[in-house]
Amino acid sequence: MHIFGPQSIPPLRRRLLVRFHREVRMKIVQDALLGSFFTLTGFAAFSMALQYPFGTSGRMGPGYFPVIVSGLLVVTGICIIIRSMAGGGDSIAHVRWKPLLLVPGAVLAFGLAVEPLGLFVAVLLMLVISAVSSSKFRWNWKSLAGALVFAGLCCLLFVQLIGLPMPLVGNWLQ
Amino acid sequence: MDIFDGLLLGFSTATTFSNLLYCFAGVLLGTAVGVLPGLGPIATISMLLPFTFGLPVDTALIMLAGIFYGSQYGGSTTAILMNLPGEASSVVTTLDGHQMARQGKAGRALAAAAIGSFFAGTVGTLFIAVSAPLLASLALTFGPAEYFSLIVLGLITSMVLASGSLLTAFGMALFGMMLGMIGTDVNSGAARFTFGLPDLLDGLDFVVVATGVFGLGDILANLENERNREASAAPISSLFPTREDRRRMVAPILRGTGLGVLLGVLPGAGVLLASFSAYALEKKVSRHPEEFGRGAIEGVAGPEAANNAAAQTCFIPMLTLGLPGTATMALMIGALVIQGVQPGPEILSQQPTLFWGLVVSMWLGNLMLLFLNLPLVGLWAKLISVPYHFLFPVICVFVAIGVYSINNSVFDVYMMALFGVLGYFFRKVGAEAAPLILAMILGPMAEEYLRRALLISHGDASIFFTSPLSLGTLLVAMLLLLSIVSPRFRRVREEGLQEAD
Repeated sequence: MHIFGPQSIPPLRRRLLVRFHREVRMKIVQDALLGSFFTLTGFAAFSMALQYPFGTSGRMGPGYFPVIVSGLLVVTGICIIIRSMAGGGDSIAHVRWKPLLLVPGAVLAFGLAVEPLGLFVAVLLMLVISAVSSSKFRWNWKSLAGALVFAGLCCLLFVQLIGLPMPLVGNWLQ
Repeated sequence: MDIFDGLLLGFSTATTFSNLLYCFAGVLLGTAVGVLPGLGPIATISMLLPFTFGLPVDTALIMLAGIFYGSQYGGSTTAILMNLPGEASSVVTTLDGHQMARQGKAGRALAAAAIGSFFAGTVGTLFIAVSAPLLASLALTFGPAEYFSLIVLGLITSMVLASGSLLTAFGMALFGMMLGMIGTDVNSGAARFTFGLPDLLDGLDFVVVATGVFGLGDILANLENERNREASAAPISSLFPTREDRRRMVAPILRGTGLGVLLGVLPGAGVLLASFSAYALEKKVSRHPEEFGRGAIEGVAGPEAANNAAAQTCFIPMLTLGLPGTATMALMIGALVIQGVQPGPEILSQQPTLFWGLVVSMWLGNLMLLFLNLPLVGLWAKLISVPYHFLFPVICVFVAIGVYSINNSVFDVYMMALFGVLGYFFRKVGAEAAPLILAMILGPMAEEYLRRALLISHGDASIFFTSPLSLGTLLVAMLLLLSIVSPRFRRVREEGLQEAD
């Protein structure tokens, strides 16, 4: 990591500075992310809340509480960012992207599929997509059969037995 | 209605065939859920909540409550046998419980946990029966200022007890309040933070958020480190505690029960605080503190009694004041509201069958658990050896179906996916979600009480300080906040939360 010129700083000092920078850069990540999240959402909420009538203390309007809370949120977010810059926080541990995309993706697929395609297909889609996100998943006849059976059981259990008003076969397939 | 009449009414309600059946189903399911790491009572209750709509209200509550306190029993079984805490509150049980199992004393540890839990459950139920009517009649004198201060206390307690920094927890609570404000303002009819989406006019469904953050969030976190779990269970010898054991168990069980009963009532505290406070207490008063962590039976009996006692008494603020102390209690309130029952001080006079039926069934449920757990230990051991990569897709499906069935709305399903990602994000940045969930429920209530209080006082804020109860509550909250600044308390808190991690 070449931040400073090779000759301009005495070697020991340079080593320490480089190490400090690297550690600080990794360490600010957790708090910096959270602080920015709070600040951004707080700010967005604050600007929306300002549009609602504020009212007075004696007669609180719909904007009173939101303005105060979102304002505090922005302040908290800024404090957390300041704290992150002071160093000493933890870095984000390794993120696995595959499950993070696939599991919510599976839920989304369920939502998209359940009305047009019906419960059976939606459950099947969801099972397959979410199972793939595990590193231990293996594609074979057993898992496919298991998924089919389970999807069928779900339909039996939720629609026939419990009586939830859900489409078994969706609009597109009828 | 005095206590004796109430208990009789409760007995006749709780012993109907349907209520007994659902109580059994609840505690069985709860134990299973407690045994399985990665699936907690909050996620399960939120999954099942929509399905309880068709049941009569007392049956629904009996089953959901059974799931909750049943999970405390289940968590301790795997904690002892496999060093795997199924529930966060069972973590302290692994410290000494598993050590006992390694020394061949697994049966005795399990028995200590079960006996301690049952005793605590009985005392807890009695405590509810005695104190709830008193508290309810006191609560009838509460005004909006008192309620507001209690909510503030609850929020501050949950912030102080969240792991991580207080500032982070404060931010989470504020964010939760913002989420709670989405929707139509009750007073003015103004649509707040709805982005023009008609689906948001009724606000975010609490179940959707809780299921997303805890259910999906848990799954995503568990998928991060898929290790092979050691399915080797320690052999179980005799299930009966020796005379020495019995002598040593008595005092910790009593102390744990007392601690748990009190901490359960405190809004914002809950079972986690009860179990590791009891462990710390036992270690402090023991004459052989070096034995802790090496198989001291006091380290199993005390915390187990405490967490079960707290699991019973945390229903008190919910039933008598309508204020949820923890996220699980907020879900119970949700179950009541779905059925059209408004929790609060009137519940004892207007719905005595519900209240007393629930109280008695909690005791019956504890009895069932005492006899269920020990014989079924082998079954639970088998259950836990089901590989997680088969389990989690099933959990996803249940969660999605459950959320969809609340309103037959795919919008809710999409929202849940979003909150799953958010729950994962919070975990990664070291922010605990509990204050957020609690604040989402308590925030709008706080706004309502604040508005009413200020309306009565014509904008004068001193109303919160002139009422003695309100002033006292706010002082306690202030003390809690200040104590976090003191270095000694910080150390104690960090130690305690470290053990919980």
